[in-house]
Amino acid sequence: MSTAAPEAVAGARTGLAGALVVPATIFVAIGLLGPIAILFRYSLNQFIPGQFMVDGLTIENYVKFFTDPYYINVLVRTVRVAVICTLACLIMGFPLAYVIARTQSRFKNLLVMLIVLPLFVGNAVRAAGWMTVFGNRGAFNASLMGLGLIDQPIEIMFTETAVLIGIIAVNLPFMVLTLQSVIEGIPRNVEEAAFSLGAGPSAMFRRVLWPLALPGILAGTILTFILAMNAYATPVLLGGPKFQMMGPLVYGQFAQQNNWPFGGAISFILMTATILLTVAAHLIVQRRYR
Amino acid sequence: MSTPRTSFGRMALNGAAGLSLGFILLPLIFVTWLAFFRQEIPSFPPEGYSLKWFSAVPGNKNFVEGFVLSLQVGVLATLIGLLLGVPASLALVRHRIALGPAVNTLLLLPLVMPGIVLGTSLYVFQIETEIATGLPLLGSLAGLVAAHTLVVVPWVVRLVTASLQGSDRSIEEAAQNLGAGPLTTFWRITLPSIRPGIVAAGLFGFVTSFGNLEMSLFLVGPGRITLPIAILQYLEWKIDPTVAAASVIQIVLIGAAMIITDRYVKLSRVV
Repeated sequence: MSTAAPEAVAGARTGLAGALVVPATIFVAIGLLGPIAILFRYSLNQFIPGQFMVDGLTIENYVKFFTDPYYINVLVRTVRVAVICTLACLIMGFPLAYVIARTQSRFKNLLVMLIVLPLFVGNAVRAAGWMTVFGNRGAFNASLMGLGLIDQPIEIMFTETAVLIGIIAVNLPFMVLTLQSVIEGIPRNVEEAAFSLGAGPSAMFRRVLWPLALPGILAGTILTFILAMNAYATPVLLGGPKFQMMGPLVYGQFAQQNNWPFGGAISFILMTATILLTVAAHLIVQRRYR
Repeated sequence: MSTPRTSFGRMALNGAAGLSLGFILLPLIFVTWLAFFRQEIPSFPPEGYSLKWFSAVPGNKNFVEGFVLSLQVGVLATLIGLLLGVPASLALVRHRIALGPAVNTLLLLPLVMPGIVLGTSLYVFQIETEIATGLPLLGSLAGLVAAHTLVVVPWVVRLVTASLQGSDRSIEEAAQNLGAGPLTTFWRITLPSIRPGIVAAGLFGFVTSFGNLEMSLFLVGPGRITLPIAILQYLEWKIDPTVAAASVIQIVLIGAAMIITDRYVKLSRVV
């Protein structure tokens, strides 16, 4: 899953090239950057209940967010959930990605399909699966009670644990696919060289595999982090109305409160927080492993 | 090299990988299991098994209309996305264009842009466009297709540029030396050599659009919702074998699409 810019080849007619690339560029520029600019402008407007939205130039929506402990809490909870889920995805994803990257089996393609399928099926369907497992009479509690391990069902639905498990399962395929493509690019020889020079598996992993896979680790971590920060269906279905995260909070401001300026401001805070934390992680990793 | 220690390590590695794979698949397994329950309440162990819930799915108006709308939007957005993305990829790989890397980054940007942010910003954008032009855009098919095209284009650009970089440019040059014009070269040489990339781009684009939830949430109108949103709204109310059966139908359709695509292009090489 590389996003590196392709190298242009010299000696072509620029007029034709322009005609080929301009439609897509204009479409994405207008469809992506235009709306974000308008949203930012909206977030500086005023909201007066009953009057809907009033044109203005004020930062009161941002001040409201950062002075209310309720909203700060939602932001902190969102970041915490995203960090935990991203680390869990990295730890759980690496062995699976490594096995798929290195397997000679003819079932390799099947394995990849089994990982891509859940990705394609969508978050709501997968949340439905977890709802079946987590409920008071769901598979998990029924198994434990059947085995006589517990008398009362354990409350998992509508807890942070349920949301964490749900988001990890949603994001894990992204991490695995990203890591797998990077590990496949690392020649098997360098691992064997490390082994034949006397390194054990853990030394080989730490000194050879990990540094070489670092670009992929970073790409996968960033992708899963962004997805976790912005999760919507999983917190709504597995966390319930009381478990607020940033995604559902934005939707509520738009759909239920009709407070577009404040919703726009939260949306911007979410985007900025995501980008800042991503850049920070990037810098830390670069400094440590240069 | 197969000392006891390394074979133990191998087993531990495979075990960890198996656990992760099981974790990814677990929700799909349970939703499929639930679809065949006889009783309506999702309590384990099931009292018996039945196929009756599958016949209840076509009776649910939201699921059927959502499916049709998702199909329409997915097909249209994929076609437009291919029409925009394939030429752009050609230009980016085969020609030296001004600001090439910047254009490439811009075209891939919607992929990493959070769905919630995309949804909110497109929502206000469509409202402003409505005010400016008087055309009803929000909640319309055109509005949805335009938004979904935005998330299809990056998949097309990413997969088709990768495919072009892997194809041998000297064959194109040979064709042109032998007298083929640019159009013939494209049609007879370039296009066939990047067909796997285009097929994969079409599949990924379509499936991304079909499964899109966060962005679409802001753009659908009353009485016009996509299938993922219909499933989400149902689940907010309750979970039962009917919604599980609808999910199973979706899993089977997407699985079939993947297997068919896999005949043209090996998925393990494109993702």
